[in-house]
Amino acid sequence: MSKVTRRWWLMASFGAPVMLGLVAQSLGVRLDGDDIRIVAPQFHFLTGKSLEKLKDGASVAFLAQLSLSPEVNAPAIKRAVDRFIVSYDVWEEKFSVTQTGVERGTVTHLSSTAAEAWCLDRLAVGIEGVALDKPFWVRLEMRAEDARDQAGVVGDAGINLTRLIEIFSNPARAQQLRWEAVGGPVRLMDLKKERRGSRSG
Amino acid sequence: MKYALISLLITGASLWGGNQQAVLQPVEFNVNSRYTVESVELPREVESRISRGLRRDLQRLIGQKFNTQTLNDLARRVRQELNLRTVSQKVIRGTAPDHVRVVLEVAHKRGEFDLSVPRFLYHSTEGLSASVDGNAVLGNNRFSFGLVSDGDELSERYAGVRARYENRKIGSDRVHLRFEFDSYHDQWNRSTVNANGSADAAGGLYRSRQNIEPLAAILITKSLTLSFGAGFQRFDSQLPPARTQSANAAITSLRYERRIEGWGADQHELDAGYSLRAATRMLNSDFSYARHRWSVRYGITRGRQSLTDEAVAGLITGRAPLFERYVLGTSSMLRGWNKYDLDPLGGSRVAYNSLDYRYGMVDVFYDTGAIWDPGQDAVARHSLGVGLRKNSFMVAMAFPVKGGRVSPMFMVGMNY
Repeated sequence: MSKVTRRWWLMASFGAPVMLGLVAQSLGVRLDGDDIRIVAPQFHFLTGKSLEKLKDGASVAFLAQLSLSPEVNAPAIKRAVDRFIVSYDVWEEKFSVTQTGVERGTVTHLSSTAAEAWCLDRLAVGIEGVALDKPFWVRLEMRAEDARDQAGVVGDAGINLTRLIEIFSNPARAQQLRWEAVGGPVRLMDLKKERRGSRSG
Repeated sequence: MKYALISLLITGASLWGGNQQAVLQPVEFNVNSRYTVESVELPREVESRISRGLRRDLQRLIGQKFNTQTLNDLARRVRQELNLRTVSQKVIRGTAPDHVRVVLEVAHKRGEFDLSVPRFLYHSTEGLSASVDGNAVLGNNRFSFGLVSDGDELSERYAGVRARYENRKIGSDRVHLRFEFDSYHDQWNRSTVNANGSADAAGGLYRSRQNIEPLAAILITKSLTLSFGAGFQRFDSQLPPARTQSANAAITSLRYERRIEGWGADQHELDAGYSLRAATRMLNSDFSYARHRWSVRYGITRGRQSLTDEAVAGLITGRAPLFERYVLGTSSMLRGWNKYDLDPLGGSRVAYNSLDYRYGMVDVFYDTGAIWDPGQDAVARHSLGVGLRKNSFMVAMAFPVKGGRVSPMFMVGMNY
């Protein structure tokens, strides 16, 4: 049996959370027509305080951004933003989600996992302008909407996308609930190959 | 009066404009919006402290479809009125299918200080009446210190300071303790001065008075509260020979308050009370009297409409100082009449009724009442009025029903 040294403990104590974080926050990336979409069964945002509020009958608005960047921490080259309003039916004990961004739609009678999956499935970034052979990273960010942001985001004409992008350009407010996951690096040509493979298979 | 009418119209227009904006509410995305609100519950101590307007607006939710925006607005108003740390909401299943109960939970600030204006009123005859309070809360203890100038409530104008200590939990949530100290300087209307010279029923004018009042309240049931304590009033007579007099009284009151919910879309509210102040030589009082007051208020609300009837009866036996005597013709009782025309010294007998109909923010009222002393005839007087009310703010014009020249009274302010 190998000896457990102090260095081992140090590496374990620092490395474990990082590894756990990466595993928990990894994103699956897929191509759907001319759109890049994500698959993230481990990504849960209907948890903790948000879930508490929902179970208390309140509706909670979530702001979402899916972005592509050439490096993990590089600025985004392409992005899509959206807003979802989730509520919980106190009689039927099921979730309901309304997408209020560019695309609109409502779905009801969902479990929490299905509600989360529906939101993520509605997020898509177009592939135009993305090089076939250049690797890129996909980052998903979600934030529970802060009441102070709501007035700027929701207007008479609908959702103000510019304001939504601005919000994601700034750090989250203190105590604002946020979730993040990163996937990559992937290449468009690989995604296309995978798609062909899945079709033929 | 022309200016009063113009202000009434301007205020009305601005309130109407505000109301129109409120109609443009965002679309309701909460799935629970299809359910009907069965009840709105909030802690009793909060319910008793919020303004009547806010309480009424909360009760109005009952029977309507659940609306997040409306509930958020009301929760924000509760938080602002009572200066609370947070007011959170819970929506839970109701007892009937497709009905929900709304429960508001509050979190107090650990230590808080705030300034409030519990009353602000301009009356076209009586002038300005206002009070400002500074409040500090430490746990269950509440300290308040305020300045007041009031020419509306009594036949005198009193101005001065008041300090109050309140403990809302003496061993149990059901027992409250209150200790109040007031010190006022008094001013008298010429009509009262003249009437006092020819009257011997009243206890004479005074230039200042102090009040010390310890009180305990016991919540016997959710609807019934019993209060008891004592009031020690000292006042310095205005005219020579200057001397200090006291009116020391045992105080007791019983109050019954109940809201009857769930009769379809109608909400019923009943508030009844009896109070007694009995001054006796045993408490070293210079005056000996008993002041009884009975009141009943019944209100019914359906959607944006509400109808309220309030009846008050009062009786004083013995010889009581002027601040104890009943007054009609104020901003809240027999509106439209001048209190100095009715009885400049106040009366020892009073009977009063007010019928108030409200649709949205439009308020129409009909008051009737009589004030008299033993040996006098009770003459019933009537008045009609119209006003605009939004939250605690109200602007109103009231007209006395009488022959000859009629001068309407104009009132504007909040919490009156």
